[in-house]
Amino acid sequence: MRKSFDKHWYAWAMVLPTVVVLSVLVFAPLVQGVYQSFTDVNESNQRSEICKKTLGGDEVCTPNPKASKFVGLDNYVDVLTGEQGHFWLQFTNTIVWTVACVTFHYGLGLGLAVMLNRRFRGRSFYRVALIVPWAVPAFVAAFAWRWIFDQQFGIFNGVLKAVGMDPVAWFDHRWSALFTAICANIWLGVPFMMVAILGGLQSISADLYEAAEMDGASPWQRFRNITLPGLRPVSSTVILLGTIWTFNMFPIIYFVTRGQPAGQTEILVTGAYRAGFEGIRDYSLAATYGVLILSILIVYASVYKRMLSKQGEVF
Amino acid sequence: MSSMPPATATETPAAVTPPRVRGREDRSLLASVALHGTLIVATFIALFPVLWVMLSSIKPASEIRRTEISLFASPTLENYRKVLFDTNFPQWFLNSVIVAAFTMVIGIAMSASAGYALSRFNFPGKRGLMWVFLLTQMFPVAILIVPIYTIMANLGLIDTKASLVIAYCTVAVPFCAWMLRGYFDTIPRELDEAAALDGLGPFGTFYRVILPLARPGLAVTAFYTFLTAWGEVAYAIAFMQTDDHYTLGAGLQQFVPQFSPRWDLLTAGAVLITIPAAIVFFFAQKHLVAGLTAGGTKG
Amino acid sequence: MPTSVTFDQATRIYPGMTTPAVSALDLEVRPGEFLVLVGPSGSGKSTALRMLAGLEDVNQGRILIGDKDVTHLRPKDRDIAMVFQNYALYPHMSVAENMGFALKIAGSPKADIEARVLEAAKILDLVDYLDRKPKALSGGQRQRVAMGRAIVRQPQVFLMDEPLSNLDAKLRVSTRTQIASLQRRLDTTTVYVTHDQVEAMTMGDRVAVLKDGLLQQVDTPLGLYDNPTNAFVAGFIGSPAMNLGTFTVADGHALIGGAKVPLPRSTVGAITGDQVQVGFRPEALELSSETDPGSFPVEALVIEELGSDAFLYGNLIGDDLRADHIVARIAPRSVPAKGAKVWFTIAPGRIHAFDVETGDALPTD
Repeated sequence: MRKSFDKHWYAWAMVLPTVVVLSVLVFAPLVQGVYQSFTDVNESNQRSEICKKTLGGDEVCTPNPKASKFVGLDNYVDVLTGEQGHFWLQFTNTIVWTVACVTFHYGLGLGLAVMLNRRFRGRSFYRVALIVPWAVPAFVAAFAWRWIFDQQFGIFNGVLKAVGMDPVAWFDHRWSALFTAICANIWLGVPFMMVAILGGLQSISADLYEAAEMDGASPWQRFRNITLPGLRPVSSTVILLGTIWTFNMFPIIYFVTRGQPAGQTEILVTGAYRAGFEGIRDYSLAATYGVLILSILIVYASVYKRMLSKQGEVF
Repeated sequence: MSSMPPATATETPAAVTPPRVRGREDRSLLASVALHGTLIVATFIALFPVLWVMLSSIKPASEIRRTEISLFASPTLENYRKVLFDTNFPQWFLNSVIVAAFTMVIGIAMSASAGYALSRFNFPGKRGLMWVFLLTQMFPVAILIVPIYTIMANLGLIDTKASLVIAYCTVAVPFCAWMLRGYFDTIPRELDEAAALDGLGPFGTFYRVILPLARPGLAVTAFYTFLTAWGEVAYAIAFMQTDDHYTLGAGLQQFVPQFSPRWDLLTAGAVLITIPAAIVFFFAQKHLVAGLTAGGTKG
Repeated sequence: MPTSVTFDQATRIYPGMTTPAVSALDLEVRPGEFLVLVGPSGSGKSTALRMLAGLEDVNQGRILIGDKDVTHLRPKDRDIAMVFQNYALYPHMSVAENMGFALKIAGSPKADIEARVLEAAKILDLVDYLDRKPKALSGGQRQRVAMGRAIVRQPQVFLMDEPLSNLDAKLRVSTRTQIASLQRRLDTTTVYVTHDQVEAMTMGDRVAVLKDGLLQQVDTPLGLYDNPTNAFVAGFIGSPAMNLGTFTVADGHALIGGAKVPLPRSTVGAITGDQVQVGFRPEALELSSETDPGSFPVEALVIEELGSDAFLYGNLIGDDLRADHIVARIAPRSVPAKGAKVWFTIAPGRIHAFDVETGDALPTD
């Protein structure tokens, strides 16, 4: 033990700040959140004691008769059966939202990266220009897209009118509203994918392409047999991260659709947030949502990882 | 691109011009047009929202609220004046600068040292920590925000900038440490060993040899942490309660309430918010590919 | 005064491995000596050097520099300097800063550092490059900077880990002699690791041969060449390599390609079974005729004509084909034709014999 400390103390010292912050602010809250999901805690009953100042200035505390209590799995039953909130609607939205966003992020990112990986005039200009959306804070982008799709003053409807079509009330229908949010998020997320994939492309040895060319492979065959396999390590990581990030992407939905119409475009994360911080703050409901979201992601990540390791890929 | 084929030595002036052969590096005209066409469209889409907001921000409010499209219409800085002098925007901006700067500095310090330890040392708990880092990426804001709110309230930190800095570090550090570990892995270990022989301890090696060499990785980390802090909304709205303490993420939405949104103020504010992010971005962008290649991509 | 270096039963087992990378190494490097550790990859030669440097833990045994036990000292407290295979120059420092870095860490006065760096730069012909970054140097110059970094410290021991392997062939030969002469001049104890036996033979005062973490033999280059203790050392040292083959023994003779080659009496006495591993160096073969006693036929496949020398590579003809390839040094400029059948005898006293089971050398007096 002592020897182990002598040998590793500097490594531990280097990770200590991170570990402390994470355990105080990620794991303690996580445990507490899981606990809250089994109670009926909300804004009005969160105190376990009610304290009153006496005339002498002392505090007298009595147990709160309406304090939150343990309710077992009630929250989960309520949420999953639709008694409380709109879990399945939001779940469907989340899946559509995540699949659409990640597919386009990866597809467009890959396409642009392959193009930028060639040698041609103006390449560095395109590269910088195409990463610009990354530099825009998400909530600013959300407002910008909200405005672009604005029914009265938005440029999108302006263009439609200019070519003689009827303006669309984007935020009056579930799918058109979701479409605007997906557009905004694709715009925001492609640069990260593009840069990551571009890095992956540059790490593929040029010799491989020359060897394949000598073997008579067509450009398409080279793409299929060298580029895509060579990108596997990068792709597997960015798709996993991208999925998780998109799943938990808060500001876009929150500001672009604001759940319009009538909460129909809410995804799980924004739904949980509204439960916890709007109206009467229902902490237990938010926590229940949180546990469900986390479970979905953990299942997804482990299935994803198993799929990869079956194909001989370990990360 | 269309570089000329190497000029053949023409000693006899009457020599027939050699047939124009397509060199390996050349691309057919069609392919060139397709390549540039696609990229121009992509660039247009990438830049359009930014440019449109910038153009709109110098239109008078009345122009913004018109249904016809116009690029320029009596340009004016009136929107900026209103944002800067008639609203609390400057205060929010200052708050955001402070929060983002602290997050950036603390985040880099924490993730760099953790990333270095993960890259170089085999210590008990290393594998577990790597897992935790990956796992924290999955935690939705929703499950953490209420308990963190409670903790912050107990510490008396609600409505303070410190609460946001700490919260943002938990978001940014795991990813950054993971990425920096990958970057440090690309720096040859022999440099550490040479430093050990030259008389440096682990901390000296880290500070005097490795950090100066990790600039691309650190630039990406800086960019990422800054942007995380600058653009975060959920914690900001939940933690900050007085208008004076709002950061931009929490404040900006006040310009565009559900009814009668002030798009004139919003566009000007959006441009002002994006400027610092853009500055950090352009310092980092040169390193983005290198930093991310080494880092985010290899597990 | 130069110091000695002693490995005393030093053992290194990597975590999670069952076999040691270096197993109970006993080795004494004499003061001022140039000792070369040589072996194939995975032999533990680099590990042994890194244990001495303090870059690897020593799991058992001790390491001493002079009389001082350094087994658990940190690298910086061992008074050593190391030249790495890839030089490990700090990319963000100039040549002068690289060379003076250790002194700077140790807190030497600035003027002192400058003087010593300049002196080393003069020795290594680097004066014009002191302000450059490593990136702006050629491979050979970087190698010299790495040497300079070690020299500047004036350590008790130089450690060199394959410092020439990143140079091209021609530069490697000239740098080889430079390093050897520099070491003589500085008279500093040096431990040098290489996988190249030519380097080992040309540079070392003594050479230690390692295989699978075990020390096989330590001797002067010529001692290794003439008296290898086992078949591995015999085959590893020398270029082209020694011919080694397993042959049947019958009444005091080895049956080589149908020929009966007489074995020394002491060898015959030590043979346990009915087979023996016989070795002979290419230059121990003499062209002969079919009628000479003990001569065996070889089909010439390739002739390497080098001008000063010529080598014949061929197949042993005969029923006992255990050693397919035979290499013989022959007189240049009048070589047999390709495909010709030539006869060889082994020069008297130039035959080596090894036990078939253990590979240990058998007496040949």
